[in-house]
Amino acid sequence: MQPILKVDLNTGEFSEMPIPVEWQKDYIGGAGLAARILFDYLNIDLDPLGPDSPLLFLNGPLSGTFGPAVGRYVICGRSPLTGLWAESNCGGYWGAELRRTGVDGIFVTGKSKTPVSLILNDRNFELLPSEEFWGMDTYDYQREILSRVKCGGRALSIGLGGERQIGYSSILADHGRVAGRAGLGAIMGSKKLKGILVKGNGFPPIARFEEFDVIRSRTNRALKNDPMTAVLTELGSAGAADYLDYLGEQPKKYFSAGVLDGSEKISGASISETMLTGKKSCHGCVIACGRVVSVDGNKMKGPEYETLVGFGPNVGLTDPKFASRMGDLCDRYGIDTITMSAGIGFVIRMRELGKLNLDDPLFQRAEWGSEDFVEECIHQTIQQTGLGKYLAMGTYRFAKQFRLEDEVVQVNGMDMAFHDPRGSSGMSIVYATSPRGACHNQSDYFMADIGHVDPSIGMEFYDRHAGAEKVKNVIIHQDYRSIFNALVMCYFANVDPESIKDLLNSVTGFDQTVPELLQAGERIWNLKRMINFKLGFNISTEILPKAVLTPYSDGGSSGYELPFEEMMAKYYEFRGWDPQTGFPSELKLQMLGLARLDSS
Amino acid sequence: MASFPSSEWLSNFMEKLNADEQYARIAKNWEGDLLFVIDPEENLTNSAYLYLDLWHGKCRQVEIRKDIGEAPAFILRSGYTNFMEILSGKLDPMQAMMTRKLNVKGNMLVMMRNVPTVLDFVRCAREISQ
Repeated sequence: MQPILKVDLNTGEFSEMPIPVEWQKDYIGGAGLAARILFDYLNIDLDPLGPDSPLLFLNGPLSGTFGPAVGRYVICGRSPLTGLWAESNCGGYWGAELRRTGVDGIFVTGKSKTPVSLILNDRNFELLPSEEFWGMDTYDYQREILSRVKCGGRALSIGLGGERQIGYSSILADHGRVAGRAGLGAIMGSKKLKGILVKGNGFPPIARFEEFDVIRSRTNRALKNDPMTAVLTELGSAGAADYLDYLGEQPKKYFSAGVLDGSEKISGASISETMLTGKKSCHGCVIACGRVVSVDGNKMKGPEYETLVGFGPNVGLTDPKFASRMGDLCDRYGIDTITMSAGIGFVIRMRELGKLNLDDPLFQRAEWGSEDFVEECIHQTIQQTGLGKYLAMGTYRFAKQFRLEDEVVQVNGMDMAFHDPRGSSGMSIVYATSPRGACHNQSDYFMADIGHVDPSIGMEFYDRHAGAEKVKNVIIHQDYRSIFNALVMCYFANVDPESIKDLLNSVTGFDQTVPELLQAGERIWNLKRMINFKLGFNISTEILPKAVLTPYSDGGSSGYELPFEEMMAKYYEFRGWDPQTGFPSELKLQMLGLARLDSS
Repeated sequence: MASFPSSEWLSNFMEKLNADEQYARIAKNWEGDLLFVIDPEENLTNSAYLYLDLWHGKCRQVEIRKDIGEAPAFILRSGYTNFMEILSGKLDPMQAMMTRKLNVKGNMLVMMRNVPTVLDFVRCAREISQ
């Protein structure tokens, strides 16, 4: 692999960071390799927003190669929102462009006294004073920095959310591609790093190019003909929303209702029928799930599934145009749409139940289906005034101030994504054990629960409401998706494991087998857990919120009660984790080659 | 009970669709004909082509074809075993479509938009097959 550029914002010095070949084999790249690198830097005393807090932008070995849906990179560090492991991967073109500069990653430490932008123009590195860009939204910055520097290329940046160090600030690139969750934008803001512009003229290193090119063509052709690709291309990431709604897997009114009148408007099909004007893809991707829509004559990014549900049924609304506008607003401010909309849903729900009463004019307007209320909440959050002061803390910390933390639909401080585990029981384990909290991007097991299982890696299909019998399946899926997050490959790419192995070997020149890759996935999963233990995690918080343990009274999953404790007990057993502490057993650590790290 | 796939089964299915009140209600907006292509497996030695013209909750015409013929709005193609698994309730038809077990040629937007119709259509098929 190409070197990682190390940038010390205290001194303005640049250096290169060598990566041992063994790490490339054992941790692949992307989030896996990032976990190994950051293991040595992260500890419980580290302030995520302090100058010593590291922030790592990293590609995978396949990033930018025109392989199937691999135009992605990952950003990692310690989450200001949860205090635990943070990773957030992002599509678009920035990662591919970074590789063309001749480096595969950027490791940022320190803190600048004044706002700066980092410029990489091939192997020329520069910190550009950026006072005039501070305060700009993400879209304006990307346009202005390209206009100022004039070398072309791709820019990523934070918005006001990151500048003000809101704990769920996102990082955006390529006009609307988002590294959304875990608040890594706040770390950039704390370092006064407004953005990073990359321009390269090289090509990612490929060890056996002719072999790679044949496999690349074959897998891209197969991917293009996949039925799920057809759904995603035609309907976007919300393509299956109708089906998920039918199954009762799409939450409404902050996970309190199984049905909502008009929810059929919340779907990729509805967007295609009413407002779609174009499609966008990430670098080299044959799927093109990105939407371009027209809202009241304004062209903007169309909402993906999570934003559509978050600013839709989650807050009692069913207008895709409104969800698009709120998604655009959050993108411009640079804040995560899932966390923002979940916080708003929480406020409405608490007021409905009479569990929270704030002497605040905006709070008094909190009710389901109020577009004005939702939009004002977003503005106030960025301004950190009124109700927004609380929302800016993140839902869990907000709730804790009022001893309402048990009411928050979250795990380990991260709000749950909008795939209800009552509609897909496998997601209960995924949410509880994900290394970054209740997220769906460490394993999208809801897809396995509707049939996307690969028998070649030992997976079987279980009913979406099956219990402990599917736990082994969930583990395989988590390990498999850890490989994707290391590559960094989009979950939407339905590529078989053999092809992934062939693609990887032809790029790296290694000769790894599918079982070795699956073991790497397991190693990465366990390593992220070890990092979380270093950061203060304990298993008392590895539980599901009571809202999702309460059966729905209506909808496609009405009456279903998750056998969560039974599933978790099996999970620890199959993972080889101590049932009392949740820590990987000595034997497991030895098997995965992690024992030495543990003792260190 | 008529065996699948046969002209008798197809006639029974048409009769069922046109008599079923629930199907008529759920599929009231459906417009589009479809063709099942059942590839030979197990006891089925030749491909079978079953055509249905579906319109606003009713079945207007059925036909056993010799080949694909004039292209309908949707062609649903799979092996005999997968079709039987769908008819016996072992395989969810939406899952089958999204996981390549049942290949769909046609507008996926319409298919994804009409999940309840698809599932109720299959319910009717199951009820005359079990």
